[in-house]
Amino acid sequence: MRLYPFDLVEPDTLPAALDALSPLDGEARLVAGGTALVPMIRLGLVKPDRVISLHRLPELAEVRRDGGTLQLGAMARLADIDTAPTVREGWPLLAEAARRVATPAIRVSGTIGGNLCYAEAASDPAPALLCLEAEVRVAGAAGGRTVPVVDFFRGFYETALAPGEIVTAIRVPATPAGARSGYVKFTSRSAEDRPLVGVAALVVRDSSGRWDDVRIGLGGVAPTPIRAPRAEAVLRGEAPGDATLRAAAEAAAREAEPLSDLMGSADYRREMIRVWVRRLLTSLRDGARSA
Amino acid sequence: MKLELTLNGRPCVTEAPGHWTVLDLLRDGLNLMGTKYGCGEGVCGTCTVLADGRPIRACLVLAAHVRGRALVTVEGLERDGRLDPLQTSFAERGAAQCGFCTPGMLLAAKALLAQNPAPTVDDVREALAGNLCRCTGYTKIVDAVLAAAPGAR
Repeated sequence: MRLYPFDLVEPDTLPAALDALSPLDGEARLVAGGTALVPMIRLGLVKPDRVISLHRLPELAEVRRDGGTLQLGAMARLADIDTAPTVREGWPLLAEAARRVATPAIRVSGTIGGNLCYAEAASDPAPALLCLEAEVRVAGAAGGRTVPVVDFFRGFYETALAPGEIVTAIRVPATPAGARSGYVKFTSRSAEDRPLVGVAALVVRDSSGRWDDVRIGLGGVAPTPIRAPRAEAVLRGEAPGDATLRAAAEAAAREAEPLSDLMGSADYRREMIRVWVRRLLTSLRDGARSA
Repeated sequence: MKLELTLNGRPCVTEAPGHWTVLDLLRDGLNLMGTKYGCGEGVCGTCTVLADGRPIRACLVLAAHVRGRALVTVEGLERDGRLDPLQTSFAERGAAQCGFCTPGMLLAAKALLAQNPAPTVDDVREALAGNLCRCTGYTKIVDAVLAAAPGAR
Protein backbone atom coordinates (compact mmCIF):
# COMPACT_ATOMS: atom_id res chain seq x y z
CA MET A 1 0.00 0.00 0.00
CA ARG A 2 1.40 3.35 -1.06
CA LEU A 3 1.97 6.16 1.36
CA TYR A 4 -0.28 9.17 1.08
CA PRO A 5 1.78 11.47 -1.20
CA PHE A 6 4.02 14.14 0.28
CA ASP A 7 6.86 16.30 -0.94
CA LEU A 8 10.21 14.91 0.19
CA VAL A 9 12.86 17.47 1.02
CA GLU A 10 16.47 16.40 1.56
CA PRO A 11 18.42 19.34 2.99
CA ASP A 12 22.18 18.98 3.33
CA THR A 13 22.71 21.53 6.07
CA LEU A 14 21.03 21.97 9.42
CA PRO A 15 19.98 25.59 8.67
CA ALA A 16 18.34 24.36 5.46
CA ALA A 17 16.52 21.67 7.44
CA LEU A 18 15.29 24.27 9.95
CA ASP A 19 14.17 26.48 7.05
CA ALA A 20 12.28 23.62 5.47
CA LEU A 21 10.57 22.94 8.79
CA SER A 22 9.39 26.44 9.68
CA PRO A 23 7.46 28.49 7.12
CA LEU A 24 4.83 26.29 5.59
CA ASP A 25 1.15 26.11 4.90
CA GLY A 26 0.25 22.65 6.08
CA GLU A 27 2.09 20.03 8.04
CA ALA A 28 5.78 19.18 7.90
CA ARG A 29 7.38 16.16 9.54
CA LEU A 30 10.98 15.10 9.98
CA VAL A 31 12.05 11.61 9.01
CA ALA A 32 15.17 9.85 10.27
CA GLY A 33 15.01 6.06 9.86
CA GLY A 34 11.31 6.01 9.07
CA THR A 35 10.48 3.13 11.41
CA ALA A 36 7.97 5.27 13.30
CA LEU A 37 6.86 7.93 10.81
CA VAL A 38 6.24 5.64 7.82
CA PRO A 39 3.75 3.36 9.66
CA MET A 40 2.07 6.46 11.10
CA ILE A 41 1.57 7.86 7.61
CA ARG A 42 0.43 4.49 6.30
CA LEU A 43 -2.10 4.13 9.12
CA GLY A 44 -3.38 7.65 8.47
CA LEU A 45 -2.35 8.94 11.90
CA VAL A 46 -0.43 11.80 10.31
CA LYS A 47 -0.78 13.24 6.83
CA PRO A 48 2.22 15.52 6.25
CA ASP A 49 2.38 17.73 3.16
CA ARG A 50 6.13 17.83 3.42
CA VAL A 51 8.57 15.30 4.83
CA ILE A 52 12.07 16.51 5.60
CA SER A 53 14.72 13.81 5.59
CA LEU A 54 17.76 14.28 7.82
CA HIS A 55 19.83 11.59 6.09
CA ARG A 56 22.11 14.05 4.31
CA LEU A 57 23.38 15.56 7.56
CA PRO A 58 26.35 13.31 8.39
CA GLU A 59 27.21 15.28 11.54
CA LEU A 60 23.91 14.01 12.97
CA ALA A 61 25.01 10.36 12.68
CA GLU A 62 28.08 10.42 14.90
CA VAL A 63 28.73 8.08 17.83
CA ARG A 64 31.73 9.56 19.58
CA ARG A 65 33.35 9.88 22.98
CA ASP A 66 34.17 13.47 23.86
CA GLY A 67 36.25 13.39 27.05
CA GLY A 68 34.02 11.59 29.53
CA THR A 69 30.85 12.32 27.59
CA LEU A 70 29.20 10.22 24.90
CA GLN A 71 28.02 12.29 21.95
CA LEU A 72 25.29 10.63 19.95
CA GLY A 73 24.04 12.33 16.84
CA ALA A 74 20.26 12.21 16.68
CA MET A 75 20.60 10.08 13.53
CA ALA A 76 22.82 7.47 15.20
CA ARG A 77 21.26 4.08 14.42
CA LEU A 78 20.26 1.85 17.31
CA ALA A 79 22.31 -0.97 15.73
CA ASP A 80 25.40 1.25 15.68
CA ILE A 81 24.89 2.31 19.30
CA ASP A 82 24.53 -1.33 20.33
CA THR A 83 27.68 -2.45 18.52
CA ALA A 84 29.99 0.55 19.01
CA PRO A 85 32.88 -0.54 21.27
CA THR A 86 32.89 2.96 22.81
CA VAL A 87 29.29 2.54 23.95
CA ARG A 88 29.64 -1.08 25.03
CA GLU A 89 32.67 -0.24 27.18
CA GLY A 90 31.66 3.11 28.62
CA TRP A 91 27.85 3.02 28.58
CA PRO A 92 26.89 -0.66 28.72
CA LEU A 93 23.42 0.18 30.00
CA LEU A 94 22.65 2.14 26.84
CA ALA A 95 24.12 -0.56 24.58
CA GLU A 96 22.00 -3.19 26.33
CA ALA A 97 18.80 -1.16 25.97
CA ALA A 98 19.51 -0.33 22.30
CA ARG A 99 20.01 -4.04 21.60
CA ARG A 100 16.56 -4.82 22.98
CA VAL A 101 14.68 -2.59 20.55
CA ALA A 102 12.48 -4.64 18.21
CA THR A 103 14.40 -6.71 15.65
CA PRO A 104 17.73 -6.47 13.77
CA ALA A 105 16.25 -4.80 10.67
CA ILE A 106 14.46 -2.18 12.76
CA ARG A 107 17.65 -1.38 14.70
CA VAL A 108 19.57 -0.95 11.44
CA SER A 109 17.17 1.84 10.38
CA GLY A 110 15.82 3.26 13.65
CA THR A 111 17.68 6.15 15.27
CA ILE A 112 18.13 7.27 18.86
CA GLY A 113 16.77 10.74 18.09
CA GLY A 114 13.76 9.29 16.34
CA ASN A 115 13.11 6.98 19.25
CA LEU A 116 13.03 9.90 21.69
CA CYS A 117 11.01 12.21 19.43
CA TYR A 118 8.37 9.54 18.85
CA ALA A 119 7.93 9.72 22.65
CA GLU A 120 6.67 6.17 22.87
CA ALA A 121 6.02 5.42 26.56
CA ALA A 122 7.31 1.89 26.02
CA SER A 123 10.67 3.00 24.60
CA ASP A 124 13.60 0.70 25.41
CA PRO A 125 16.41 3.31 25.26
CA ALA A 126 14.53 6.02 27.19
CA PRO A 127 14.68 4.38 30.66
CA ALA A 128 18.42 3.83 30.14
CA LEU A 129 18.96 7.45 29.11
CA LEU A 130 16.92 8.58 32.13
CA CYS A 131 19.23 6.58 34.41
CA LEU A 132 22.31 7.97 32.67
CA GLU A 133 20.88 11.51 33.04
CA ALA A 134 21.39 12.29 29.37
CA GLU A 135 20.63 15.62 27.75
CA VAL A 136 18.94 16.33 24.44
CA ARG A 137 20.42 19.01 22.18
CA VAL A 138 17.78 20.89 20.27
CA ALA A 139 18.26 23.29 17.35
CA GLY A 140 15.75 25.94 16.38
CA ALA A 141 15.57 29.03 14.21
CA ALA A 142 16.36 31.15 17.29
CA GLY A 143 19.36 29.01 18.30
CA GLY A 144 20.10 25.89 20.30
CA ARG A 145 19.05 24.69 23.72
CA THR A 146 19.62 21.69 25.93
CA VAL A 147 16.81 19.72 27.55
CA PRO A 148 17.50 17.03 30.17
CA VAL A 149 15.89 13.77 29.03
CA VAL A 150 13.81 13.76 32.21
CA ASP A 151 12.17 17.01 31.03
CA PHE A 152 11.95 15.98 27.38
CA PHE A 153 8.86 13.77 27.72
CA ARG A 154 5.82 15.89 28.46
CA GLY A 155 2.89 13.57 27.96
CA PHE A 156 1.43 10.76 25.90
CA TYR A 157 3.44 10.90 22.63
CA GLU A 158 4.32 14.49 23.51
CA THR A 159 7.77 16.06 23.85
CA ALA A 160 9.23 19.40 24.91
CA LEU A 161 10.02 20.24 21.28
CA ALA A 162 8.49 23.48 20.03
CA PRO A 163 7.25 23.73 16.44
CA GLY A 164 10.21 24.19 14.10
CA GLU A 165 12.76 22.57 16.42
CA ILE A 166 15.00 19.61 15.57
CA VAL A 167 16.77 17.26 17.96
CA THR A 168 20.39 17.19 16.84
CA ALA A 169 22.22 15.17 19.48
CA ILE A 170 22.03 13.29 22.75
CA ARG A 171 24.80 13.91 25.30
CA VAL A 172 25.33 11.16 27.81
CA PRO A 173 27.49 11.92 30.86
CA ALA A 174 30.03 9.33 31.97
CA THR A 175 28.69 6.25 33.69
CA PRO A 176 29.67 6.63 37.38
CA ALA A 177 32.82 4.70 38.26
CA GLY A 178 32.09 1.24 39.63
CA ALA A 179 28.41 1.38 38.67
CA ARG A 180 26.40 -1.75 38.12
CA SER A 181 23.62 -1.38 35.62
CA GLY A 182 21.15 -3.36 33.60
CA TYR A 183 18.03 -3.24 31.47
CA VAL A 184 15.27 -5.84 31.52
CA LYS A 185 12.06 -5.85 29.55
CA PHE A 186 8.97 -7.95 29.90
CA THR A 187 6.88 -8.50 26.80
CA SER A 188 3.46 -10.10 26.97
CA ARG A 189 3.12 -11.10 23.31
CA SER A 190 6.46 -11.85 21.63
CA ALA A 191 10.13 -11.35 22.41
CA GLU A 192 10.67 -8.53 19.91
CA ASP A 193 7.63 -6.53 21.01
CA ARG A 194 7.82 -3.20 22.77
CA PRO A 195 7.97 -3.72 26.51
CA LEU A 196 4.85 -4.14 28.60
CA VAL A 197 7.25 -3.06 31.34
CA GLY A 198 10.88 -2.05 30.79
CA VAL A 199 13.22 -1.42 33.72
CA ALA A 200 16.65 0.18 33.63
CA ALA A 201 18.69 0.61 36.78
CA LEU A 202 22.10 1.86 37.75
CA VAL A 203 23.56 1.59 41.24
CA VAL A 204 26.86 2.62 42.80
CA ARG A 205 27.92 1.04 46.08
CA ASP A 206 30.21 2.66 48.63
CA SER A 207 33.05 0.72 50.26
CA SER A 208 30.69 -0.70 52.90
CA GLY A 209 28.27 -2.02 50.27
CA ARG A 210 25.65 0.69 50.72
CA TRP A 211 23.99 2.02 47.61
CA ASP A 212 24.87 5.71 47.58
CA ASP A 213 23.69 6.32 44.01
CA VAL A 214 20.53 4.59 42.81
CA ARG A 215 18.73 5.35 39.56
CA ILE A 216 15.71 3.54 38.20
CA GLY A 217 14.06 4.29 34.86
CA LEU A 218 10.80 2.72 33.73
CA GLY A 219 9.20 2.33 30.31
CA GLY A 220 5.64 1.36 29.48
CA VAL A 221 4.32 2.11 32.95
CA ALA A 222 3.03 5.67 32.55
CA PRO A 223 2.08 8.05 29.72
CA THR A 224 5.83 8.72 29.29
CA PRO A 225 9.05 6.96 30.27
CA ILE A 226 9.75 7.94 33.91
CA ARG A 227 12.31 7.86 36.69
CA ALA A 228 11.14 6.17 39.89
CA PRO A 229 12.30 8.60 42.61
CA ARG A 230 10.35 7.01 45.46
CA ALA A 231 11.75 3.59 44.73
CA GLU A 232 15.24 5.13 44.52
CA ALA A 233 14.71 6.83 47.91
CA VAL A 234 13.84 3.49 49.51
CA LEU A 235 17.23 2.15 48.45
CA ARG A 236 19.54 5.13 48.82
CA GLY A 237 22.04 4.62 51.65
CA GLU A 238 20.95 1.03 52.15
CA ALA A 239 22.78 -2.23 51.74
CA PRO A 240 19.52 -3.75 50.61
CA GLY A 241 18.27 -7.11 51.78
CA ASP A 242 15.43 -8.91 50.05
CA ALA A 243 12.77 -7.06 52.06
CA THR A 244 14.18 -3.65 51.07
CA LEU A 245 14.32 -4.65 47.41
CA ARG A 246 10.69 -5.75 47.63
CA ALA A 247 9.78 -2.44 49.26
CA ALA A 248 11.51 -0.54 46.47
CA ALA A 249 9.69 -2.58 43.82
CA GLU A 250 6.42 -1.86 45.63
CA ALA A 251 7.23 1.86 45.68
CA ALA A 252 7.92 1.75 41.93
CA ALA A 253 4.61 0.01 41.29
CA ARG A 254 2.81 2.68 43.33
CA GLU A 255 4.45 5.67 41.69
CA ALA A 256 3.80 4.33 38.19
CA GLU A 257 0.66 5.43 36.35
CA PRO A 258 0.11 2.50 34.03
CA LEU A 259 -2.44 2.50 31.23
CA SER A 260 -4.47 -0.44 29.96
CA ASP A 261 -4.05 -1.44 26.34
CA LEU A 262 -3.94 -4.48 24.06
CA MET A 263 -0.72 -5.71 25.67
CA GLY A 264 -2.07 -5.77 29.20
CA SER A 265 -4.22 -4.09 31.81
CA ALA A 266 -3.02 -1.39 34.19
CA ASP A 267 -3.27 -3.85 37.10
CA TYR A 268 -1.18 -6.43 35.27
CA ARG A 269 1.43 -3.79 34.44
CA ARG A 270 1.63 -2.77 38.10
CA GLU A 271 2.17 -6.39 39.09
CA MET A 272 4.87 -6.81 36.44
CA ILE A 273 6.63 -3.66 37.71
CA ARG A 274 6.82 -5.32 41.14
CA VAL A 275 8.30 -8.47 39.61
CA TRP A 276 10.78 -6.96 37.15
CA VAL A 277 12.07 -4.12 39.34
CA ARG A 278 12.74 -6.64 42.10
CA ARG A 279 14.43 -9.09 39.72
CA LEU A 280 16.71 -6.49 38.18
CA LEU A 281 17.68 -4.93 41.52
CA THR A 282 18.37 -8.38 42.97
CA SER A 283 20.66 -9.27 40.09
CA LEU A 284 22.49 -5.93 40.47
CA ARG A 285 22.92 -6.51 44.20
CA ASP A 286 24.17 -10.04 43.67
CA GLY A 287 26.67 -8.91 41.06
CA ALA A 288 25.18 -10.65 38.06
CA ARG A 289 25.59 -7.49 36.01
CA SER A 290 28.18 -4.75 36.08
CA ALA A 291 29.32 -1.72 34.18
CA MET B 1 13.40 12.14 -8.02
CA LYS B 2 16.41 10.49 -9.65
CA LEU B 3 17.98 7.53 -7.88
CA GLU B 4 21.28 5.82 -8.52
CA LEU B 5 22.07 2.69 -6.59
CA THR B 6 23.52 -0.77 -6.95
CA LEU B 7 20.83 -3.40 -7.28
CA ASN B 8 21.76 -7.06 -7.01
CA GLY B 9 25.32 -6.26 -8.04
CA ARG B 10 24.45 -4.08 -11.03
CA PRO B 11 24.30 -0.30 -11.33
CA CYS B 12 20.72 0.95 -11.42
CA VAL B 13 19.56 4.43 -12.43
CA THR B 14 15.88 5.05 -12.01
CA GLU B 15 13.20 7.56 -11.02
CA ALA B 16 10.80 7.44 -8.09
CA PRO B 17 8.40 9.86 -6.40
CA GLY B 18 9.64 11.15 -3.03
CA HIS B 19 6.92 9.37 -1.07
CA TRP B 20 7.85 5.93 -2.41
CA THR B 21 9.37 3.36 -0.11
CA VAL B 22 12.04 0.90 -1.19
CA LEU B 23 9.25 -1.66 -1.57
CA ASP B 24 7.33 0.60 -3.97
CA LEU B 25 10.55 1.12 -5.93
CA LEU B 26 11.29 -2.60 -6.19
CA ARG B 27 7.82 -3.89 -7.00
CA ASP B 28 6.24 -1.03 -8.92
CA GLY B 29 9.26 0.84 -10.27
CA LEU B 30 11.57 -2.06 -11.11
CA ASN B 31 9.09 -4.93 -11.46
CA LEU B 32 10.92 -7.13 -8.98
CA MET B 33 8.08 -9.06 -7.32
CA GLY B 34 10.18 -11.31 -5.07
CA THR B 35 10.02 -8.84 -2.18
CA LYS B 36 6.56 -9.07 -0.60
CA TYR B 37 4.24 -6.59 1.04
CA GLY B 38 3.02 -8.03 4.32
CA CYS B 39 2.04 -5.87 7.27
CA GLY B 40 3.33 -2.48 6.10
CA GLU B 41 4.47 -1.70 9.64
CA GLY B 42 7.86 -3.40 9.83
CA VAL B 43 6.60 -6.23 12.00
CA CYS B 44 6.28 -9.27 9.70
CA GLY B 45 9.64 -9.12 7.92
CA THR B 46 8.62 -10.48 4.53
CA CYS B 47 9.81 -7.27 2.80
CA THR B 48 13.32 -7.62 4.26
CA VAL B 49 16.11 -6.77 1.80
CA LEU B 50 19.79 -6.01 2.33
CA ALA B 51 21.23 -2.50 2.13
CA ASP B 52 25.02 -2.52 2.23
CA GLY B 53 24.78 -6.02 3.66
CA ARG B 54 22.45 -5.16 6.51
CA PRO B 55 18.78 -6.10 6.71
CA ILE B 56 16.20 -3.35 6.28
CA ARG B 57 12.43 -3.30 5.97
CA ALA B 58 11.66 -2.25 2.41
CA CYS B 59 8.15 -1.17 3.51
CA LEU B 60 9.54 1.36 6.02
CA VAL B 61 12.60 2.81 4.35
CA LEU B 62 12.08 5.65 1.90
CA ALA B 63 13.49 5.00 -1.56
CA ALA B 64 15.53 8.20 -1.26
CA HIS B 65 17.37 6.67 1.68
CA VAL B 66 18.96 3.92 -0.42
CA ARG B 67 20.44 6.33 -2.94
CA GLY B 68 24.05 5.29 -3.56
CA ARG B 69 23.72 2.11 -1.54
CA ALA B 70 23.96 -1.56 -2.55
CA LEU B 71 20.63 -3.39 -2.38
CA VAL B 72 20.19 -7.13 -2.52
CA THR B 73 16.76 -8.70 -3.00
CA VAL B 74 15.81 -12.35 -3.23
CA GLU B 75 16.27 -12.10 -7.01
CA GLY B 76 19.93 -11.31 -6.38
CA LEU B 77 20.76 -14.37 -4.29
CA GLU B 78 21.44 -16.74 -7.15
CA ARG B 79 24.80 -16.60 -8.91
CA ASP B 80 25.16 -17.63 -12.57
CA GLY B 81 21.97 -19.61 -12.43
CA ARG B 82 22.93 -21.41 -9.23
CA LEU B 83 20.87 -20.93 -6.11
CA ASP B 84 22.44 -19.56 -2.97
CA PRO B 85 23.27 -22.33 -0.46
CA LEU B 86 20.53 -20.90 1.76
CA GLN B 87 17.94 -21.32 -0.98
CA THR B 88 19.06 -24.90 -1.64
CA SER B 89 18.96 -25.64 2.06
CA PHE B 90 15.44 -24.20 2.44
CA ALA B 91 14.24 -26.27 -0.52
CA GLU B 92 15.88 -29.49 0.62
CA ARG B 93 14.58 -29.23 4.16
CA GLY B 94 11.04 -28.13 3.34
CA ALA B 95 11.56 -24.83 5.14
CA ALA B 96 8.69 -23.20 3.26
CA GLN B 97 5.01 -23.93 2.98
CA CYS B 98 3.13 -21.09 1.32
CA GLY B 99 6.43 -19.30 0.69
CA PHE B 100 5.24 -15.77 1.39
CA CYS B 101 7.71 -15.25 4.24
CA THR B 102 10.58 -16.99 2.44
CA PRO B 103 12.22 -14.00 0.69
CA GLY B 104 12.48 -12.13 3.97
CA MET B 105 13.67 -15.22 5.82
CA LEU B 106 16.40 -15.79 3.23
CA LEU B 107 17.72 -12.24 3.37
CA ALA B 108 17.62 -11.97 7.14
CA ALA B 109 19.52 -15.27 7.24
CA LYS B 110 21.93 -14.07 4.56
CA ALA B 111 22.80 -11.03 6.69
CA LEU B 112 23.33 -13.26 9.71
CA LEU B 113 25.63 -15.72 7.95
CA ALA B 114 27.72 -12.93 6.43
CA GLN B 115 28.38 -11.64 9.95
CA ASN B 116 28.47 -14.95 11.77
CA PRO B 117 29.40 -18.00 9.65
CA ALA B 118 28.87 -20.43 12.53
CA PRO B 119 25.75 -19.30 14.37
CA THR B 120 24.10 -21.15 17.24
CA VAL B 121 20.40 -21.99 17.27
CA ASP B 122 19.83 -18.94 19.49
CA ASP B 123 21.77 -16.70 17.07
CA VAL B 124 19.52 -17.86 14.22
CA ARG B 125 16.35 -17.40 16.22
CA GLU B 126 17.40 -13.91 17.25
CA ALA B 127 18.32 -12.93 13.68
CA LEU B 128 14.94 -14.20 12.44
CA ALA B 129 12.91 -12.82 15.37
CA GLY B 130 11.44 -10.18 13.08
CA ASN B 131 10.38 -12.61 10.35
CA LEU B 132 7.01 -14.21 10.86
CA CYS B 133 5.91 -17.52 9.30
CA ARG B 134 2.21 -18.23 9.78
CA CYS B 135 2.19 -21.66 8.13
CA THR B 136 4.51 -24.13 9.73
CA GLY B 137 6.46 -22.77 12.61
CA TYR B 138 10.15 -22.22 12.59
CA THR B 139 11.92 -25.52 13.24
CA LYS B 140 12.72 -26.34 9.62
CA ILE B 141 13.61 -22.74 8.84
CA VAL B 142 16.13 -22.64 11.68
CA ASP B 143 17.47 -26.05 10.65
CA ALA B 144 17.88 -24.87 7.06
CA VAL B 145 19.83 -21.77 8.09
CA LEU B 146 22.09 -23.80 10.39
CA ALA B 147 22.76 -26.34 7.64
CA ALA B 148 23.67 -23.58 5.18
CA ALA B 149 26.11 -21.89 7.56
CA PRO B 150 29.59 -21.98 6.00
CA GLY B 151 31.13 -22.58 9.41
CA ALA B 152 28.79 -25.49 10.23
CA ARG B 153 30.44 -28.84 10.89
